[in-house]
Amino acid sequence: MITSDLLNDLQIIVSDERVVKGQNGDDFLGNSGRIVVKPESEEEITKILQYANAHNRKISIAAGGTKRGFGGITEAEDIELSLENFKGIMEHTVGDMTLTVKSGTPFKELQAYLAQYNQKISLDPFYPERATIGGIIAANDSGPKRLGYGSARDAVIGLRIAYPNGSVIRTGGKVVKNVAGYDMNKLFIGSMGTIGVITEVTLKLRPLPQYESVILLAFPDGHHEWMKSFAVELLDSMMEPVALELLSPTLSENLTGCRYYTVAISFEDVEASVHYQEEFVKKLSSSFANISILEKEKACQFWEHFYNIDHKESEKNETKATLKIAVINLDVIRVIKECEYLSDIHNLKIEGHGGFGHGLCHVHLSGAVEDVKTAITQLRKLATELNGYAVLKYLPLKLRQEINVWGEEPSYFSLLKGIKEKIDPKKILNPGRFVGGI
Amino acid sequence: MAKKGLQTTDKDIINLAKIVGEKEILFKKADLLAYDCDGFTIHKHLPKAVVFPNSTKEVAEVVKYCDLNQLPFLARGAGTGLSGGAIPLNGEVIISLVKMKRLLSVDLENRRAVVEPGFVNLKLTNSIADKGYYYAPDPSSQYACTIGGNVAENAGGAHCLKYGVTTNHILGLEVVLPSGEIIDISTNGVLDLPGYDLLGLLTGSEGTLGIVTKITVRILKNPEAKQTVLAYFDKVEDGSQAVSDIISSGIVPAALEMMDKTAIEGVEAAAFPVGHPKDIEALLLIEVDGISVGITEQIKQILEVCKKRNVREVKVAQSEEERGRWWANRKTGFGAMGAISPDYLVQDGVIPRSRLPEVLARINKISEESGLRIANIFHAGDGNLHPLVLFDARKSGEIEKALAAGSECLRVCADVGGTITGEHGVGIEKREEMRFVFTEREIAAQTDIRDVFNPKNLLNAGKLFPSPGRCVEVKKEMKNARETFV
Amino acid sequence: MSLRENELKGEPPCHTNSLSNYLWSDPPDEHKWADCVHCGLCLEACPTYEQTGQEQHSPRGRVHLIKSVAEGKLVVDDDFADPVFVCLDCRACTTACPADVDVGGLIEEARGQVRQAMPLKGWKGMTSKFLLEGLFPHQSRLHSLGSLLAFYQKSGLQKVVRKTGLINMMPKHLVEMEAIMPAIGIPVQKKYKEQKVIKAKGETKREVAMLTGCIMDIMFSDINQSTINVLTKNGNDVSIPKNQTCCGALHVHAGDREMGRKLAKQNIEAFKDAEKVITNAAGCGCMLKEYPELFREEPEWHEKAEEFAQKVEDISKYLYDTGYEKPKVELNTRITYHDACHLAHGQGVREQPRDLLINIPGVEMVHMPNADRCCGSAGVYNITNPEMAGAVLESKMKNVPEDVEMISMGNPGCMLQMAVGVEKYGRNQKIVHTVQLLDWAYQKEENERGNNGEKGFAND
Repeated sequence: MITSDLLNDLQIIVSDERVVKGQNGDDFLGNSGRIVVKPESEEEITKILQYANAHNRKISIAAGGTKRGFGGITEAEDIELSLENFKGIMEHTVGDMTLTVKSGTPFKELQAYLAQYNQKISLDPFYPERATIGGIIAANDSGPKRLGYGSARDAVIGLRIAYPNGSVIRTGGKVVKNVAGYDMNKLFIGSMGTIGVITEVTLKLRPLPQYESVILLAFPDGHHEWMKSFAVELLDSMMEPVALELLSPTLSENLTGCRYYTVAISFEDVEASVHYQEEFVKKLSSSFANISILEKEKACQFWEHFYNIDHKESEKNETKATLKIAVINLDVIRVIKECEYLSDIHNLKIEGHGGFGHGLCHVHLSGAVEDVKTAITQLRKLATELNGYAVLKYLPLKLRQEINVWGEEPSYFSLLKGIKEKIDPKKILNPGRFVGGI
Repeated sequence: MAKKGLQTTDKDIINLAKIVGEKEILFKKADLLAYDCDGFTIHKHLPKAVVFPNSTKEVAEVVKYCDLNQLPFLARGAGTGLSGGAIPLNGEVIISLVKMKRLLSVDLENRRAVVEPGFVNLKLTNSIADKGYYYAPDPSSQYACTIGGNVAENAGGAHCLKYGVTTNHILGLEVVLPSGEIIDISTNGVLDLPGYDLLGLLTGSEGTLGIVTKITVRILKNPEAKQTVLAYFDKVEDGSQAVSDIISSGIVPAALEMMDKTAIEGVEAAAFPVGHPKDIEALLLIEVDGISVGITEQIKQILEVCKKRNVREVKVAQSEEERGRWWANRKTGFGAMGAISPDYLVQDGVIPRSRLPEVLARINKISEESGLRIANIFHAGDGNLHPLVLFDARKSGEIEKALAAGSECLRVCADVGGTITGEHGVGIEKREEMRFVFTEREIAAQTDIRDVFNPKNLLNAGKLFPSPGRCVEVKKEMKNARETFV
Repeated sequence: MSLRENELKGEPPCHTNSLSNYLWSDPPDEHKWADCVHCGLCLEACPTYEQTGQEQHSPRGRVHLIKSVAEGKLVVDDDFADPVFVCLDCRACTTACPADVDVGGLIEEARGQVRQAMPLKGWKGMTSKFLLEGLFPHQSRLHSLGSLLAFYQKSGLQKVVRKTGLINMMPKHLVEMEAIMPAIGIPVQKKYKEQKVIKAKGETKREVAMLTGCIMDIMFSDINQSTINVLTKNGNDVSIPKNQTCCGALHVHAGDREMGRKLAKQNIEAFKDAEKVITNAAGCGCMLKEYPELFREEPEWHEKAEEFAQKVEDISKYLYDTGYEKPKVELNTRITYHDACHLAHGQGVREQPRDLLINIPGVEMVHMPNADRCCGSAGVYNITNPEMAGAVLESKMKNVPEDVEMISMGNPGCMLQMAVGVEKYGRNQKIVHTVQLLDWAYQKEENERGNNGEKGFAND
């Protein structure tokens, strides 16, 4: 079928101006569509799906576009289902601390709205201005504060999912505790849009902390044993850091102006408690680290900067890649150390950070393409040695076609494949976007 | 105890005994009868046999044998479940995991422990308590229930308001699939493995997707301080409003429990009375924990909220001993109903917190109309209600009346946007009530997933989902029941 | 539940349920299992469930089976008897149960049905018959046995038997028992035969009667002596009624409720005039307090038994409640305390003996984890179910702290079993009764007073 027919068919479903031709040819990230359609209601979404399913049209799902470089090996599918117009708050029950929103709502808008009620969603994803709640959940994105607040799987209590055949199912509900039937929410969190389109998200909220601070502990000697023993002692204490993130010297320089290994510790509580915990950290670390403390707004600004690292447009001749590396908690130190080592020998810019309390690292690479590829191989090797894994969260399309973004298939891959085939037998949703090409 | 040779000619028994050993299989009627139900006693059914494997390999071999020979089978832990998930409806071979009860490893630095499924919940906390750590999910049955069972049911507890339920604490699982294949999902505890979240799906699947043989759990450091408040209210509305006020004031209590007048009458007549006044309509048990200086302020706020909501009396526990007494009184609340009623049926609905006063009024109405007393004990903080329908099974027709009243309570929960179970699971008990919250399509979406894992449906069949053949009839029944009560 | 009490006072329970397979008199009481909601909180409290992991060997499983017989789903046969008799009757489940289900009572009633349905045969039957019918109820025979045992020990025959390997001909668990047999002294029954009342030292404040116990007075006559000593020291006139007999606990545990009733009646009569009945054996005390259970079908005796049960008190609780003189000299020793099942779970006596012990100057009490876990003695259980008793004992011994010199407790059966444990696992603790320690402290005090400060007390 030629593009114009597709265009005409879709214009029957949604108004003309919301169906446009995609920009072909120049898209180095891929995951776009020959036709971009921007539905504004769930009904429109289901009709588009029904149409695509009936006619075997492949769909890629997008909204803020922050995850275009994440998975997938196709430049353009038939249809790009863009949810950027599908946004807004459906229901906010202040007393119940629950919120239901349309999936295309940008994260930062949500937080700004909730702040009026002294509430927040306890997630800290990257690129919060552009990332939408649906995308964050579909990609299961999380930041350093996962230590204190958990991830999407801890915050999402209900979803509405448009299935590829156009039917809509609800998973979970609007209450914070629910074991009726399978925990289907979990199936869609992190599913990379391969088995359904998330249309609505219900989240449990938390109160905004009354006070917060970030302590930056710079380790001038870069002595890894000290960092590790500091982390072990803090975690073994009764303090309650919400983030305990190790920053590589390069990243630290970018964020703090100081090129040392740095540990960023976040406390959020009533003021007295935050200060009490600051004192504890000071006592624990004063002999071997330089301390600076960012209070309140300054702490917020630090994190804002942090969540937007490496989101500048790529320079010519420079290849960028972002890895998510998961290891057993304290092994993050080895990953971050390796980043520094690789950046020296390969002449790469590598900014890395990893949480001592959860073992998740993010590593941003930029440099010559071959060097980037070598570094990816080496980081992946290290992750495997540490019984973890490395996934490429951001990589240009060309390299994704070369490098397996998700790594080896797990031994139970047949189950994953079985789930995909059951829900999306015609493989129309985000084809090949996920592990093992599902 | 000791058997000399297997006194049977049943080839399945003989073959299963070859896998697990002759001493590790039960097949005589007297022994099997002890396995005809779990904590839910309204349905009973005899298993074909009970086997006690001692390793993952043995579990896998038993499962393979059952799969090959078309024998229905299911896994069982301590059998404390309240919804009938371990009842052998189809004469299953029960795979009891209580012999697999080792604590395999504890890694304090990385805050995780690996246990076998038969390991008892409370024993985990007890074995790391001296180092200042604990395992957060604390169902009231934690003295006996196993962590494997907790995974199957996604068990909660009083303290999950702040710390989450079982699924929030599971890092990895080793699972024997219904085909007998053994899979390892992140038992080393690495987060966010690529692929659909099978950990999340398996947790709370009530033993219908696979048999868990090894569990990696997150363990937590004890909070620096803990404070517990007890508040008595003359009006239920004031009590429930106080709950909302506390939560919306920005406090996240570790636990926030409520009991109504009938429940108070029960606990005061039972094994652990604490001297609550008998004429109050509601009491709140509130616990906050965290950094010491922080919770002092929170306690102040809580006391203010209670006063604003016309509390009759409010007090802070003055010692660990006093706190312990308050909690023992609350935690044995279900069993305590034995003191004021020969039988009770516990329900497990969840509602949005803000609808509490309305829902309690409607439950009262159900009580009046059915002529049965209903006590309410609940995790008010997260809206998880446990209406306890009191009845006497010896009076003819009372069981049916109680079941109908229980079902009606769940209907009310569903009506106000809640759900039919917050922590006890669906099992056999609430299969039909699943229709209160899910459409046919939504139920089919779930059975589709089951079919991927459990295509022959030999593993724990007949649980969790309403039986398709009966749906029209059941809907009619439910409709009639509703008309009777509303 | 008040319901139960009302029905008790009315007509004896009868079989309204025609399906019931309990065909004999005195069947398990329906009201006892009606309280059980099958919640499972008892499971981990049960030593036999700990060992087997099997429901039929758990409290709620047993209750379920007992109920199933009444519902006609099961008959009283060997398969039913197995779980019912593997129970240690330790009552730990009763403590754990939020609804206070009397599992022990049900078990004993069920055993009564089993024994009526299937009288014991074979070796077990012979042993049981010899011990329960031929020996324990007969003071004179017990005394002769005592003399024989004393002769066996003193004559050197014991050494000969042990050395020559003759001992190897005995079953293994009996060998273990023999190894720890206490030195046999003179039974207090014999010693105070001529005295109607043993007068208090100093002013008489109260009068008590003492149950000497059958085995207790033979194997542990020194404990009975200590009991008399501490009672008289604290202003009690002690009488030892002549017609008293074995309490019947072992018979009731074994399902011989008929014999139990016979003995109960004799004891109720023997102690008719007593105001207080003091026991130093937890198992006996518990049985005496439960005499009313035996007479559910004999209202007249039921009433007498109720009255009698009110008078029974464990020595430690009695001393604690009435006040006692705290010893003044130091017994420098580290001890731990084991809760006898029938004291802690059966009678709710936990703090009183501990209080007695820690109030002795110089006694350092080391906490024993799971102190109220059964040791596996359970009356004659260690003779009838040696395998399970051994496993339970092993689990118990793991909890005994390494660095203590003595293990104190309040039950002779436990003392024998724990002594087996100490011997078997190469430990070196002395096994003592709570009142013995108190008595030794008093004695040391007197010796010091007498010898003007000179050390006159030997710990052993």
